[in-house]
Amino acid sequence: MTAVAPGSTIVWLTLAAMGLPFAAFLAIFFVTRPRLLPSLVISLACSAFSLAVAWWLLIHLRGIDAPLMFQALWMHGGQASIGFGFLLDPLSLVMLAIVTSISFLVQVYSLGYMAGDPGMAKYYSFLSLFAWSMIGLVVASNLMQLYIFWELVGLSSYLLIGFWHQKFSASQAGKKAFVMTRLGDLGFFLGIIVLLLNLGDLSILGLNSQAAAKLSPALLTASAVLVFCGVVGKSAQFPLLTWLPDAMEGPTPVSALLHSATMVAAGVYLVSRLYPMYAASADALAIMLAIGTVTMLLASTMAMVARDIKQVWAYSTVSQLGFMLMGLGAGSYFAGVFHLTTHAAFKALLFLCSGVFIHHFGTNDFFDMSRQGARHLRIPMVCITIAGAALAGVFPLAGFFSKEAVMGSLAELDQGIWLWAGLLGALLTAYYTFRLLFVMWRPLQPLQDKQSNPGHDDHQHSGHSSFGYGVMSAALIVLAGFTIALGFLGDKLIAFLHWQRPPQIPHHTWLLVTAILVVLVGIALAWWEFGRRGAAQEGFLRRFPALETLFARRWYLDDLYRRLTDYVVYGVFSRLCTLNDRRVVDGAIDGVCRGTVGAGWLLSFLQSGLLQYNLFAMVLVIALVGIYFLLL
Amino acid sequence: MDSLHTYLFVALLLFCIGLFGLLQRRSLIGMLISVELMLNAASINFLAFNRFLGPDPAVGQIMVLFIMGIAAAEAAIALSLILALYRRLRSIDIEKARELRG
Repeated sequence: MTAVAPGSTIVWLTLAAMGLPFAAFLAIFFVTRPRLLPSLVISLACSAFSLAVAWWLLIHLRGIDAPLMFQALWMHGGQASIGFGFLLDPLSLVMLAIVTSISFLVQVYSLGYMAGDPGMAKYYSFLSLFAWSMIGLVVASNLMQLYIFWELVGLSSYLLIGFWHQKFSASQAGKKAFVMTRLGDLGFFLGIIVLLLNLGDLSILGLNSQAAAKLSPALLTASAVLVFCGVVGKSAQFPLLTWLPDAMEGPTPVSALLHSATMVAAGVYLVSRLYPMYAASADALAIMLAIGTVTMLLASTMAMVARDIKQVWAYSTVSQLGFMLMGLGAGSYFAGVFHLTTHAAFKALLFLCSGVFIHHFGTNDFFDMSRQGARHLRIPMVCITIAGAALAGVFPLAGFFSKEAVMGSLAELDQGIWLWAGLLGALLTAYYTFRLLFVMWRPLQPLQDKQSNPGHDDHQHSGHSSFGYGVMSAALIVLAGFTIALGFLGDKLIAFLHWQRPPQIPHHTWLLVTAILVVLVGIALAWWEFGRRGAAQEGFLRRFPALETLFARRWYLDDLYRRLTDYVVYGVFSRLCTLNDRRVVDGAIDGVCRGTVGAGWLLSFLQSGLLQYNLFAMVLVIALVGIYFLLL
Repeated sequence: MDSLHTYLFVALLLFCIGLFGLLQRRSLIGMLISVELMLNAASINFLAFNRFLGPDPAVGQIMVLFIMGIAAAEAAIALSLILALYRRLRSIDIEKARELRG
């Protein structure tokens, strides 16, 4: 570890990049909110600054061979001390570049998408808040700091999902996302406490170097799994995956930024951050692998039947996050991080393209969009095709290389089942992606007059200015460039991530061929059902109504949660709390009141109203006092 | 016979009779008379102590004059109170005046 001297350029720039988005949030939220233009300028300027610093750091530090750390002591007690600062290593540098790039692009894109929205300044302040929390999370030097920003990210996610809070479903979705991720964060926090009690040190470097040596295997696994609970919540893994599809109620750029590219990837990032600690516990890795696999398959099946374009990408995000965790769980740090990087680019692109369509046609149903002539919007159509092909894993786009890396790591495992599950996932991914693309390209009954579309139910925007379309397209083209180029940077990335000493990764030619074949089969199936001339555009699942319902109802996970909430939370805990309220709290107060009244009733017998009794009592007392003084 | 004890004994007797009457009589007039008896017992005490123990012969008698004056004033107020009560209750029986019973 190299401690950076305070006062050096790197420290100042990094601290500024960490702090400026928060300053932008405060300035916009409390000062310039009523005026749009200054708000936009502040937000974009701070975002651009962070972007520049992130890329400068990445280029400047591309050859580092030891992490750079700068931190101030925050809390100190007993043997435990907690610092606050930043830690720059290849992982955080790469993630910082991803976060700031997508954040900036989304802010630019939103200029077009949110134009005319009355809450636009507030929207930008929330985006700045998110950028601040995410940057803080990425560069955090210890787990406590990371946890604080982790929760702040959850808060900004809540605010942005419920941004159109007039819509009931949006506010409900925000609440659901908040509560479900919090459920996982409970485990995360317990994990932090276990680590703090047993190690007394929460710095990430300390955890990675010492946890394996100082903790007993059981304790290590327990804390790793507890921390993983937070990942399950944040990255929407099984069984906490249903909040993410609902989170699509937010504005589409928000879905692109938070719920596909950066925030949900924070869970995967956390695992990568603590990867040496996880790698020391085989059980934790096995659990991660299993959860990732289950999530990937479940979410892919859900995506096969969705009709809402954003829902398809949401399920696909869940599924790809599961895929990243599979890569990490299979023991390949590089595969997980590489897929995280490429996924950020092409998934953000997919969402932003979908946003253009939603903005233009005022509907979320891609069958409907296609009928209204979606394919005439050339730039988004081409971009969504590139991104979809990357998601499916078509050569030579970014997704192909990262998927191959994950598959390669799965092939290294002893049990073949994981690899087969991975291949099945790839097949399903190719199928649902190209289902959507073919439907978009080949409308079943095109409408001639595309202006006659019904009213915008979702999204009230005035006019589609050419400026708005221009900035949105610009963001799309930049991201499409990334989607094409990132795949070829795999060798550079692996060397960078492993401090210039990349491990030997075995290549399996048969695996490469199989994977390509699987993808081709998936695309062919989609073409047969949706793409060819005269196709009925009904999936094969239509013939299995039970399965279709199962997938469309999200495997009844939501119903299960509803039941659990009704029976356990309302049925047991709420009832007990109510009983406690009624019987214990209310009962105590009622008892005191009744006691007072009763005592008063008893005492009232003294007041007979007869003057002479009072007089007699007085005489008696005086007599007794007199006797007392005379005799003693 | 002509000693302090005789006088004190008579005064005590008078006071006890007054106290008993005050506690026992239900008629307000009777209670007023009993109070007068108790005042007289006090007056006798003053006179007796003055005669047998006091160096100055006049002080006790002055006190008794005061007591008599106060007793007259008190009787006037008490009678007017009794009259007011009678107007309200059509009775001077103390048992009827029990409005303050708890």
